[in-house]
Amino acid sequence: MQIRINGSSITVDAPEDMPLLWVLRDLLNLTGTKYGCGMGACGSCTVLLDGEPVRSCITVLADVQDKEILTIEGLSKDNSHPVQQSWLELQVPQCGYCQSGQILSAVALLNETSDPDDEEINAAMSDVLCRCGTYPRIRKAIKHAAKTLRKGEET
Amino acid sequence: MKSFHPDRRKFLKLSSAVMGSGLILGMNWGCSAEDQNPGSSSANSFSPNAWLVIDDKGSVTIFVAESEMGQGPYTLMPMLLAEELEVEWKDIVVKHASLDPAYGYQATGGSASIRKGWSTLREAGAIAREILLQAGAASMQAATAECKAEQGKIIHIASGRKIPYRELVNAAAKLPIPEKARLKELHEFVIIGQSIPRTDIPEKINGKARFGMDIKLPDMLYATITHCPVFGGSIQHVDASRTKKIKGVIDVFEIDEGIVVVASDTWTAFKGKDALEITWNPGKNATLSSSQIADRLKNLPPEQGEITWQEGDSGAILSSGKTIVQADYIQPLQAHIPLETMNCTAHFRDDGKLQIWVPTQSPSKAYETAKLTSQSIIKRGLNKLFGSDDDIEIQTTLLGGGFGRRLKQDFVSQAVQIAQRFKQPVQLVWTREEDVQHDFYHPLTVHKMRGALDKNGLPTAWELLVSGSKISASGISPPPYAIPNTRVMIKNVGEAIPRGPWRSVFAHYNAFAMEHFLDEMAHAGKQDPLDLRIRLLEKHPRLQKALQAAATSAGWPGKAGSSYLGIAAFSSFGSHVAEVVELRRSEKQGLAVHKVTCAIDCGVVINPDIVKQQMEGSIIYALTAALKSKITVRNGQVEQSNFHNYPILKIDETPEMEVIILSNEEEPGGIGEPGVPPLAPALANAVLAATGKPVRELPVNLSAIKL
Ligand code: FES
Ligand code: FES
Repeated sequence: MQIRINGSSITVDAPEDMPLLWVLRDLLNLTGTKYGCGMGACGSCTVLLDGEPVRSCITVLADVQDKEILTIEGLSKDNSHPVQQSWLELQVPQCGYCQSGQILSAVALLNETSDPDDEEINAAMSDVLCRCGTYPRIRKAIKHAAKTLRKGEET
Repeated sequence: MKSFHPDRRKFLKLSSAVMGSGLILGMNWGCSAEDQNPGSSSANSFSPNAWLVIDDKGSVTIFVAESEMGQGPYTLMPMLLAEELEVEWKDIVVKHASLDPAYGYQATGGSASIRKGWSTLREAGAIAREILLQAGAASMQAATAECKAEQGKIIHIASGRKIPYRELVNAAAKLPIPEKARLKELHEFVIIGQSIPRTDIPEKINGKARFGMDIKLPDMLYATITHCPVFGGSIQHVDASRTKKIKGVIDVFEIDEGIVVVASDTWTAFKGKDALEITWNPGKNATLSSSQIADRLKNLPPEQGEITWQEGDSGAILSSGKTIVQADYIQPLQAHIPLETMNCTAHFRDDGKLQIWVPTQSPSKAYETAKLTSQSIIKRGLNKLFGSDDDIEIQTTLLGGGFGRRLKQDFVSQAVQIAQRFKQPVQLVWTREEDVQHDFYHPLTVHKMRGALDKNGLPTAWELLVSGSKISASGISPPPYAIPNTRVMIKNVGEAIPRGPWRSVFAHYNAFAMEHFLDEMAHAGKQDPLDLRIRLLEKHPRLQKALQAAATSAGWPGKAGSSYLGIAAFSSFGSHVAEVVELRRSEKQGLAVHKVTCAIDCGVVINPDIVKQQMEGSIIYALTAALKSKITVRNGQVEQSNFHNYPILKIDETPEMEVIILSNEEEPGGIGEPGVPPLAPALANAVLAATGKPVRELPVNLSAIKL
């Protein structure tokens, strides 16, 4: 089966009902996408499907055909995406395990809204869990990234 | 600068043949009694916890053996060394050292990394600097007193001539460890005390960070395990026929702890596990329940406790009928649930080596476990020749959270048992369900408290009994408060539910009981909880200061009406922390935590931003426990299984936070755990302030509280 990941077409030999999470991790070695619960309850496995955040642990291969998949590995080559930059600047991660899901959810939010308020951040981020408690910094980093992105548009 | 004489048992210059050319210095800061693992290192063998390598290309590499689970050792430890070495921070490379059995005991827990490394790492930097200074002075035909070290160079002060370290390392490698070296005074620090960005963060934002589950090896197989859901139960019968029909399932078999499915990928292994039809033999814990355990503890007569601390005559005063305050507090079992579930990858290689990749807080215990397991495999004739110590290699990966769970090595033993059946490497991954149901839990505890007040409403006597399984009275025995008549007792009641260290260990349950009870006494005696603490903490000025700082910043005692403040403080792991919880009432949410103010005194601050990070994380971890999570056991098995029924705090439930760091010149204390204990009592104290009613059982459901 052909799928599109991070801008390239890839052929995978896997059953149609295999969750995307395990296709990415075990077949394609794209291990940035993480397993946390396997039931859509933690958000660690979040990837963007045509720009929309989805839980890859409950999204099967058949559902992603003809769609563009973006994983954390495809966000930038050099940590240069404004959300990554903001994450660096505010020193968000602790153990780091949940952060791919956090970052991609934030990217999706900022694609929708250039100036998210607290409520919008809550709505977009509240199902992405972090056991280390990086939430205060995630909130700040999203606002900071939004500012950078807006500045980028003005110039 | 102050002089010191290097302790030969702590430092060793390794010959360059071992690790390439350049100057190589190993260091060992021993380990505390609680971490000692008899037999893991012999008394006179040298076992570095870290190495410094300066090569002739000018790169300075620091190998750190601590486990990185988010608490920052990859940054903090090298900062200490770099400070004395006089190199620029940007020139330092940090690498993780894998466990060589020769290198003795390694464990990361008890917020101990910095406390142990504080002197040794700085001394190591100073020794290396001194050797380089000697080599530099010799090559410039000057006395060492005429030269200085600065930014990776030895400088001849009068002439301004400079030689970079890289040109001196080979000469320096031939010099002995000096008799004497000098350490900076605190005010001379240029790296320590700075919020240096963490070295592990860049790869944690692009998917490159390698956690245990991210190890991928050629031909690797994937395994998962089902444990008997009832603690201590066993397998009666397994029907694996459905599992074996699944394409990609390679094998199904029993090991000591349960049934294993091995497959071509993790998903197939998980599916295979679900398809197993197993009849379990629940064994003697078939009717075990956590509510029964709580009842049993509640009904314990306090006299049954063993006295751990006594002062004055609390018994006489408590029986003489003054104003008596009494409370029983129940705290539930808690799971750790780090976001990365338990896993371990093992490979019995053709050349007889056993290689293990594992996210562990204790590579040494992982090593011991692997050795014991493989030895018993040999004894049972299951495996071919498997020889000496050197045949096991442990590589610690990054940890997707630890919180104490990864001090246990059950998953290592399992991975070894599984891998010995295959030529290929095997990665064992637990499902979240197994992770929640087969943890080593925070204990279920009951504290029985009694206190007496004098006619002015001040506490004059109290008795504290802590009961539970494998518990400790640490932190409250003696209590920090100067109440003239005190008795502390402990009653350990064995039970079948596995127990283990949980972030801040004893401090979590003991702080809640002591600190909430103090407020109950203050409430009964009509005292201000802050004033009462300050008055009773005369011998604990650091805790007093932390209380004052948190209270002032939080606007103590708050404005009556819609917001309510609670305060609590606790010293643990060498640090002193006070927290204020502010509850607010809103139409929409009812009562909710609006803000937490935290003041920490952790002695010399090595990296303020990492301290702040750890306080934020600790507050959220503790709020999860105080507001949400509770493990219950029925019919011998844990009733919760995943995040839907064992929820953790989310971003929209996270209050505002303020962290105040009180810096001083005391030895550095821990930062990973001490932020946890004061939170639950501060929260309960805020509830008491809001409602006049104490919180006798955790977690507390704020939305159910009517005002
Ligand atoms: S692993 Fe997919 S939501 Fe948790
Ligand atoms: S950073 Fe550890 S789970 Fe989020």
